[in-house]
Amino acid sequence: MKPLYFLLFLLTTTAQAQTLLSGKVTDRKGHALPGANVFLKGTYDGTSTDTLGRFSFETFEKDTATLAVSYMGYESFERKLLLDQKEVVLTAKLEELANELNTVVITAGAFEASDEKRMAMLKPLDIVTTAGAAADITGAMQLLPGAQRVGEQEGLFVRGGSGLETKVVIDGMIVQNPFFSSVPDVQQRGRFNPFMFKGTSFSTGGYSAQYGQALSSVLLLNTTDKTSGNGLGVSLNLASAGLNYDHATEKQSVSVVGYYGNLKPLFALVRQNIEWLHEPEFVGSSLTYRFKTSQTGLLKVYGMYSDSRMSMNSVVPGGEGIKNRLDLHNRNAFTTSTYTDSWAEGKWLLNSGFSYSRNSDNMAFDGLGMDRLDERTQARAVLTRLLSGNNSVLFGAEIHAINLQNGFGGTSYSLHDRYTAAFAETEIYLSRQMAGRVGVRTEYSSLLNRFNLAPRLSLAYKTGTYSQVSLAAGQFYQNPDYRYLYRNPDLNFERADHLILNYQVMKKGRTFRVETFYKNYAQLVREYTGQPFDTNPYRFPWGSTNNAGYGYAQGFDLFWRDQKTVKSLDYWVTYSYVDTRRLFQQYQVLATPTFASNHNVSLVAKRWFDQLKTSVGMTYAYTSGRPYYNPNHERFLTDKTPAVHNLSFTASKLTSIRGNFAVLYVAVDNLLNTRNVFTYRYTADGRTPNGYSRYAVGPQSYRSFFVGMQVFLSKKAVVKKEDL
Amino acid sequence: MKTIFISALTLVLSMTQLFAQSDKYTQAMTTTVDALNQQEGKQPDMAAYQELANRFERIATAEPKEWLPRYHAAYCYTMLGVMGDDATQKEQRLDKAEAMLKEVETLDGQPDDEVEVLKAFVAQGRLAIDPMSRWQTYGAVFGEHLAAAKAANADNPRIYVLEGTSLFYTPEQFGGGKKVAKPLFEKALEKFATFKSPGATYPQWGKGQAEWMAAQCNQ
Repeated sequence: MKPLYFLLFLLTTTAQAQTLLSGKVTDRKGHALPGANVFLKGTYDGTSTDTLGRFSFETFEKDTATLAVSYMGYESFERKLLLDQKEVVLTAKLEELANELNTVVITAGAFEASDEKRMAMLKPLDIVTTAGAAADITGAMQLLPGAQRVGEQEGLFVRGGSGLETKVVIDGMIVQNPFFSSVPDVQQRGRFNPFMFKGTSFSTGGYSAQYGQALSSVLLLNTTDKTSGNGLGVSLNLASAGLNYDHATEKQSVSVVGYYGNLKPLFALVRQNIEWLHEPEFVGSSLTYRFKTSQTGLLKVYGMYSDSRMSMNSVVPGGEGIKNRLDLHNRNAFTTSTYTDSWAEGKWLLNSGFSYSRNSDNMAFDGLGMDRLDERTQARAVLTRLLSGNNSVLFGAEIHAINLQNGFGGTSYSLHDRYTAAFAETEIYLSRQMAGRVGVRTEYSSLLNRFNLAPRLSLAYKTGTYSQVSLAAGQFYQNPDYRYLYRNPDLNFERADHLILNYQVMKKGRTFRVETFYKNYAQLVREYTGQPFDTNPYRFPWGSTNNAGYGYAQGFDLFWRDQKTVKSLDYWVTYSYVDTRRLFQQYQVLATPTFASNHNVSLVAKRWFDQLKTSVGMTYAYTSGRPYYNPNHERFLTDKTPAVHNLSFTASKLTSIRGNFAVLYVAVDNLLNTRNVFTYRYTADGRTPNGYSRYAVGPQSYRSFFVGMQVFLSKKAVVKKEDL
Repeated sequence: MKTIFISALTLVLSMTQLFAQSDKYTQAMTTTVDALNQQEGKQPDMAAYQELANRFERIATAEPKEWLPRYHAAYCYTMLGVMGDDATQKEQRLDKAEAMLKEVETLDGQPDDEVEVLKAFVAQGRLAIDPMSRWQTYGAVFGEHLAAAKAANADNPRIYVLEGTSLFYTPEQFGGGKKVAKPLFEKALEKFATFKSPGATYPQWGKGQAEWMAAQCNQ
């Protein structure tokens, strides 16, 4: 019977061997963590810490056990214990998990608008609610630090760069024609609706090795992954009428948009500074299809087509009454499809895409045919591997086939380029306080028959709970403007070197950011004509060319945003300073280019009035004078236009029309009716045959207004103020 | 003989231990769910919900095959995710709730409607953190989960509690407000009257909220 006794003995000892576990749970610095879960793994024994972080509980477990402590936002703590005493006392020190507040983020040069969880300085919604942006993505970006406003041209002019030095990228794919076709002295809008995108990142330099072909900046747009399935909607405004339809099922969703626009009614109400012969008229449609191929895979297909025509009289310097007629018929198609997926619990990520775009401009300027046609086909794949501790490494490649045709007064030029690029980049977190991103990109252009190799580097160091400093540097290459390549395919890539230093503080609804930069331009194309500077925007570069151009841009910008101090009021202030000179194109001396303004200031404010269900926004934008070419002045580009001021207003109201939800909006641009001048154009010799040696290029109209509405016809649609 | 006797004894002992374990589970669940139900309709108490979440989590770690403790822990974390004013913390708690729900889905026995309702609640919590920017994304997610819950069991009263709450906070002009929300709370209360819970430890929440909100609608 001995064994039985033994068993009984064992049972009784088990019953008696009760251990008291007690102690304290703190963070690394010894601060108490109340409400932490303390328990023995695999048992029911445990407790929560009290307000002082203390715990104590009893257990009947014997021999060894694992004590586990978990607390939200901290790494869980585990310790093996020997339960051979009546009492075990211990202190558990928990390490904080990486989060937004305690981990540095690489930010130099980047300005993000994203609705993902991380803090972003600008939300996508800000784009449409900002006065003066006209619900245009680039319109809003122009009010951010680093951008210089150029009133008579489309595009983003960043830190002394021209509009051609910024690339617009949708889901990784370069957009060949992001704006409506350019016409002389009239700024064009972007082709894309801000609501298509879940996130926007505006880089003012030092951007990732994933992107190339942009000397100054990239504007990265990421399309949304799903629609809300709102059914049918109607939009109606002074310029256009459109229908949109959204349908979503669990795995698939489709959005269709169709619109017709004619600016005749608007131009009849708003005095135009341009003599229109045929007001812009356009028709277009787009289709988006998204398919969840699996739990992790997503296929997105987007296609759009638009057809627009217009005709205007373009002013000729040198005489009233002499005008050049311009006719333009544009047809534009853009399709892009992307497939994203991840494997091994998200450790491997794939981003791939294929895109085709075709743009044709049937254009006649002063009776001369100026037809343009361009096509771009591109494919891209990026594979990312996430490693432990936030580290990651990615590899990718892209290939583009580009065809261009251009007629210049009867002669037709064409070129084909096959552009390929490969890149690799890694993000390394040396600690929570210090992170780096190192990348390299190599590109080959069949047209130039040359390679380049562009290194990129970013570093970020966290200086406090809410502040950090970052540094970015890198080399950026771009093919020369295709107009030079028609006659001289022996040109080399143009190059820019960036160095950026950034400091920012983000604390609960308030952001302060200062960034200083130096940009070196090299290998810029110079043209030698042996004749005076020709300002004709449609001139064909017939002179001999080489890559002897160079230049620099330096300056700083400031940003302050406050969403906290006054309830429902959100405002931001930006100031950008740039000092830049270059010797390029037809320039014969180093000079500040015509598109660069030294000072840009913007004040943006918006407020939501809950009782009126109305959002109101005001924006004031100041742009200092820009150099213009005066043939009568001996020193090149030393005359400056007066500064440009613009005060604008916008309001949107939520209401219902016959039981259907509706958003009404009104916008007024240039409230003070300021007679802004963007630049002057002179006769080629600067002489004054009949008293008019120059004319001033100003906005299309001075004070102007716009009204419109969006109605949701489906009963499914629930519009909140958040939809504004 | 002796060996047989000892083996039998060991068997019995281990059996009792096994029963003890399952007894322990039932007892722990009953008391904890009771404590949770006590919170219903009360002024939200963060410390109390954290303590309950911890208790459910402890049971969950001890019982890797049970979906209920995970479900209740997820519910507690969702409640914690709509309390307080620190956006980062709310986000972390909702992340935790989502992680718990993911575990629930891999286990046997969980009713689709309850899981979908809770997922919708999580989406509502996310939306509430930054409604201006998140409406488009999480408004849709919220709707999808509720639709899925209805498809699984349209008699689940909690569906209408969430639906009503969402409408309650939507401005009148846009199809929301007390008037339209009220019938939903009434519908929820009707459903609560007939809803048969499969067990005392199954989800019970929502009735208190429906009563409170319905009263608010009358004001």
